[in-house]
Amino acid sequence: MNYVFHIMVMINIYALLALSLNLLVGYTGLLSLSHAAFYGIGAYVSTLLMMKLGFGFIPSLLAAIVASVLLSFVISIPSLRLKGDYFVLASLGFQVIVFSVLYNWVDVTRGPYGIPGIPQPEVLGVTVSSIFTYFVFIGVIALLCGGMLYLIGNSPFGRILKSIREDEIAAAALGKNITGLKVKAFAIAAGFAAVPGVLFAGYMQYIDPTSFTLMESVFILSIIIIGGTGNITGPLTGTVLMILLPEGLRFLGMPDAIAANMRQVIYGLLIIVIMRYLPQGISGEYRFE
Amino acid sequence: MTTLELNNVTKIFGGVRAVDRISLGFEQGKVTALIGPNGAGKTTVFNLINGFIRPDEGAITFKGKNLVGLKPWEIAQLGIGRLFQDVRLFQRLKVVDNVMAAFNRYNREGVLFSLIMPWKVAVQERKLRERALALLEFVGLAGDAEKLADNLSYGQQKLLAIVRLLANDSNVLLLDEPTAGVNPLMLKSILEVIRKLGREGKTVVVIEHNLNVIIEVADWVYFMSNGQITSFGLPQDVLGDPEVRRTYIGI
Repeated sequence: MNYVFHIMVMINIYALLALSLNLLVGYTGLLSLSHAAFYGIGAYVSTLLMMKLGFGFIPSLLAAIVASVLLSFVISIPSLRLKGDYFVLASLGFQVIVFSVLYNWVDVTRGPYGIPGIPQPEVLGVTVSSIFTYFVFIGVIALLCGGMLYLIGNSPFGRILKSIREDEIAAAALGKNITGLKVKAFAIAAGFAAVPGVLFAGYMQYIDPTSFTLMESVFILSIIIIGGTGNITGPLTGTVLMILLPEGLRFLGMPDAIAANMRQVIYGLLIIVIMRYLPQGISGEYRFE
Repeated sequence: MTTLELNNVTKIFGGVRAVDRISLGFEQGKVTALIGPNGAGKTTVFNLINGFIRPDEGAITFKGKNLVGLKPWEIAQLGIGRLFQDVRLFQRLKVVDNVMAAFNRYNREGVLFSLIMPWKVAVQERKLRERALALLEFVGLAGDAEKLADNLSYGQQKLLAIVRLLANDSNVLLLDEPTAGVNPLMLKSILEVIRKLGREGKTVVVIEHNLNVIIEVADWVYFMSNGQITSFGLPQDVLGDPEVRRTYIGI
């Protein structure tokens, strides 16, 4: 049973990552390779605040969101003026820089040694400790954030983002401040990506930079490419599939060393097949071109 | 009253004077046509007004306010709307959403608003939807409201682009070939819309190749050739100009 709860917790964490990235990729049409960086910023900022400055869980969660939003401006303001491809490259650069900082700034982040002994989340005097309480706690937060992302996606704001995705010039001619709106969308996505980072750190009670690599960004992107983007069901479908898939492989009784490689091969194949035959993903609305 | 003015505007593209020291005035409540051969610089004039490109020289003013240096969206928010020659719909949005996206200047579309007061957003959305459907009804597209814009015929797309412009409620409407590629019946309804806009006190500027359309709707005509205005006046006078007849109409 604990195993099932663990899987559910991971699905919740990745669902938040996928849904927040979806706001950029599926709604605004901006391909970003820096989502794991914001996920990591969330995890590290909250952990350091809790362990070094004695912050409580909720204040450190809020601070992590704020830090992530502020850091999002570092990429978005200079690069969104430029068009599509430059933004992808800037996001790639940002991802690499954040990883290097986490990995090399040993005095603060302990670098490759990681940070063990992260305190369990304590909210309203209740400490989250058993796997079941983690499942409930993380589930509630994921539901709250997922609900907010759903509201944003279906709001007039979400519609403007989609109009930008469809035709920037036409949207500008209707009076939409394209750059400003993209900066906002990017900040929102970054803020929401910090939340699963905080939850992940509180759940694992240990973090190191390898959880927040470029590969992780690519993985989150592949979740929404496979599941689909531009609505809420696509990213959720993708998350469930991509988290359960390796678990399924485990039951095939493959040795770990082979299973790990097989997983990469299967992910790769899946992306190719989906892009060829289902360009909008399994249940998405927006078609990559 | 002249609302939109270009004064000695020049735009050079790689040595070619696409727009060469032209001065134009567009009047409120009038339909002005900008005609001329392909490559004369007509669309460039629109792009200069919209702020998609900056003039190398000269001034562009709207109600006395300088437009040069403003961003396209700022110019749009001053009330200058544009119908693109290549339509530029939001192809993978529903027809009704294409229209609703254009109501921006009167609505609250902030993120916080939709998070804190989703019920108010719902009320606003219902109202917008009704207004959008009424506009679509007017051009006979209400039955297609739930289709993706992508799935409309070319003529219908053109109508939808016009409706989107109406929803944006601009005071100046720059229409780049509004009737190209539409069938005679749709042509009629488009002309009706253009005339109505003029009567309602909008400043309407049309780029058009169809001479019948020009005679029917235009109050004033500028003839443009090689980046310059070579003739202007009432439609019948300009179309009767021997130089215009020789270089453009081919008679």
